[in-house]
Amino acid sequence: MILSAEQISKRYFRKSGEANHFYAVKPLSLTLRPGTVTVLCGRSGSGKTTLLHMLSGLLTPTEGRVLLGETDLYRLSDKELSKLRNASIGVVPQARSVLDTLTVRENILLPSALYGTEDRSEEAARWMETLRIEGLADSRAAELSGGELRRTAIARTLCMCPPVILADEPTGDLDDENTQLVFGCFRKAAEEGAAVLIVSHESDALNIADAALRMDGGQLSALS
Amino acid sequence: MSKRKMFLRMITASLLRRRSRMLIALLSIAIGATILSGLVTIYYDVPRQMGAQFRSYGANMILLAKEGESLTTDTLQDALSVIPEDQLVGATPYRYVRLDMTSRQQSFTTAGTDFAEVQKTSPYFSVEGEYPQAAEEILLGKEIADTIGAKVGSYIQLTWRPVVTVHENASDDWVPNAKLSGSAEGFNAGIVVVEATLDDEGKIATLEIDASSQTPEIGGQVETDRNFISRFIGQSLPVSLGEDVDAVSGATISSQAVVDALNNARSTAKGSAAAERSGYFNVTGILVTGGEEESYIYMNLKDLEGLTNDNLLDVAELSVSANAEQLEEYAKAIDGSDAGITARLVKRVTRSETAVLGKLQALVFLVTVVVLLLTMICVSTTMMAVVSERRREIGLRKALGAPDSSIRAEFLGEGMFLGGLGGLLGGLLGFVFAQVVSVNVFGSSITFQPLLLPITLLVSMLIAAVSCLLPIKRAVAIDPALVLKGE
Repeated sequence: MILSAEQISKRYFRKSGEANHFYAVKPLSLTLRPGTVTVLCGRSGSGKTTLLHMLSGLLTPTEGRVLLGETDLYRLSDKELSKLRNASIGVVPQARSVLDTLTVRENILLPSALYGTEDRSEEAARWMETLRIEGLADSRAAELSGGELRRTAIARTLCMCPPVILADEPTGDLDDENTQLVFGCFRKAAEEGAAVLIVSHESDALNIADAALRMDGGQLSALS
Repeated sequence: MSKRKMFLRMITASLLRRRSRMLIALLSIAIGATILSGLVTIYYDVPRQMGAQFRSYGANMILLAKEGESLTTDTLQDALSVIPEDQLVGATPYRYVRLDMTSRQQSFTTAGTDFAEVQKTSPYFSVEGEYPQAAEEILLGKEIADTIGAKVGSYIQLTWRPVVTVHENASDDWVPNAKLSGSAEGFNAGIVVVEATLDDEGKIATLEIDASSQTPEIGGQVETDRNFISRFIGQSLPVSLGEDVDAVSGATISSQAVVDALNNARSTAKGSAAAERSGYFNVTGILVTGGEEESYIYMNLKDLEGLTNDNLLDVAELSVSANAEQLEEYAKAIDGSDAGITARLVKRVTRSETAVLGKLQALVFLVTVVVLLLTMICVSTTMMAVVSERRREIGLRKALGAPDSSIRAEFLGEGMFLGGLGGLLGGLLGFVFAQVVSVNVFGSSITFQPLLLPITLLVSMLIAAVSCLLPIKRAVAIDPALVLKGE
């Protein structure tokens, strides 16, 4: 499924110079196609995460619209949008995003359990194995290391087999070996038909990328 | 993993992880529910409890004979059958007659009664000495005891002189210098007593009238009305009203009683009256009430009936443990029965009871409402803190596609669970609380109201749910985008 952004921008009210508002993301258009991996890089504060949140349906753009296939995300009700995001847009957040009260397996199954759709235990087991956390399935998230938590969050996203995957610096706290492993997983997901966007500073990411973009001061440009 | 299983798993995990907070919320709900169920129990039990307390105020119902009928111990029993046994605290019969105290040549109003019942219907009576237990024992009003100088342990001879009618064949001339005393029935069966002396020619020289049994402002005037009394002086016996003397205006019956009593005195002295009966009585106690009871002699009804040889009663005082409406009902039922008895409520007593109960119940209601409000504030604050603590988790779940409705349901679920558990605890503790209060304050136990438990449970859950409204609003407003950025 194609995720496309049409002239979206995000403007915040904040004193900056003469103006009393500033653009975190300046108007831009972007298309993520199935089967492709797009890598987005840029300095801190350049608007990468804001763009990712707008694409994922979590943050309403000031202008423009985001379409998943034919559906305008921000015209849906909270209930419809929530369901659509749950099934179709997998987000790997930048911050620590695992629930300490649940086990690794429960965390991975959490998105599917929210709606009680089909049983995804097999996919969960498969992704835990691929990401080498199968031994931790019944451990509490509170007992895991940063790298293990990160891989749990990635497994949670991949387990749903979403048509769109948006990952925000997914390899920030991983070693080289695991970084390779994770990028391999994203590549595989793309080959299975997902549209993947990875925000990353890693040069390894570029190796699996079909397209590379750069954000600078809220402006998007193609990386040469 | 099914949706429901995950839902339960998250609630229990959240409860367990924040057990100290949850314990505080649970405790406040349990305390609120305890006060609620305890006070409601007391609220409904207070009328019963206080009803018994109020009975120390004395009788709240009076039974009298209907006009043309008579009140006897038998008809009294018929009337009492209307009132349920467990509500009838006491029923005291009274028969009032004048008895002569032989040693003093004076007569006193004497009440025949049942002393066991007197102690129930007039618990405020204070007796120096003891209540009579056996036959031929009496209680003296303090005023009489002071007048005649009697003490506990004294013996007093009392004589019953029947009310007689004038004998037609009585002689017109009469013994000079005689001293006469006699009595006759006046207004409302009250006895009027006269004492007279005759001069050398057999005409009335002095006349003393005791009309204390008559209505003071009306018939009682015959005692003091100089114009009335002076008309008797110099008259020959028998006298007749309207010819020899004129009645005191507005008190014809009492005036007639004085005339009758004088004529009776003449007949009695001639030995033509029914035989008088007398007996010796042991004073076991002096009655102190501060009221008119102090001017009466009290004796066993059986003893009095032995003197008068009948079983008539003047009045019965009832102490009934019931509210104003029930009393009205019983009074109506007694009036409607064929016992020939009419019932009157002592409004002063019933009205003050109703007023006190109303105030007490309003107070209980107010305290309950305040406690429930405090409970709501406490639960709401705790849940607010829980939402703050779980901000990140809620944001993440929203980011993973949980709709607002599921967040709402979860917090509501937690709140209802706490409310239910707290309500159950409180419902049971409330009974213990009510029991302790009842035993300590009212001195009697309370019966468990099974219906109160589910009601407490429901109210607690409702209060917990309402308390969660603001925290839920907070939770739903959490922006997942901000949380995911690590802020």
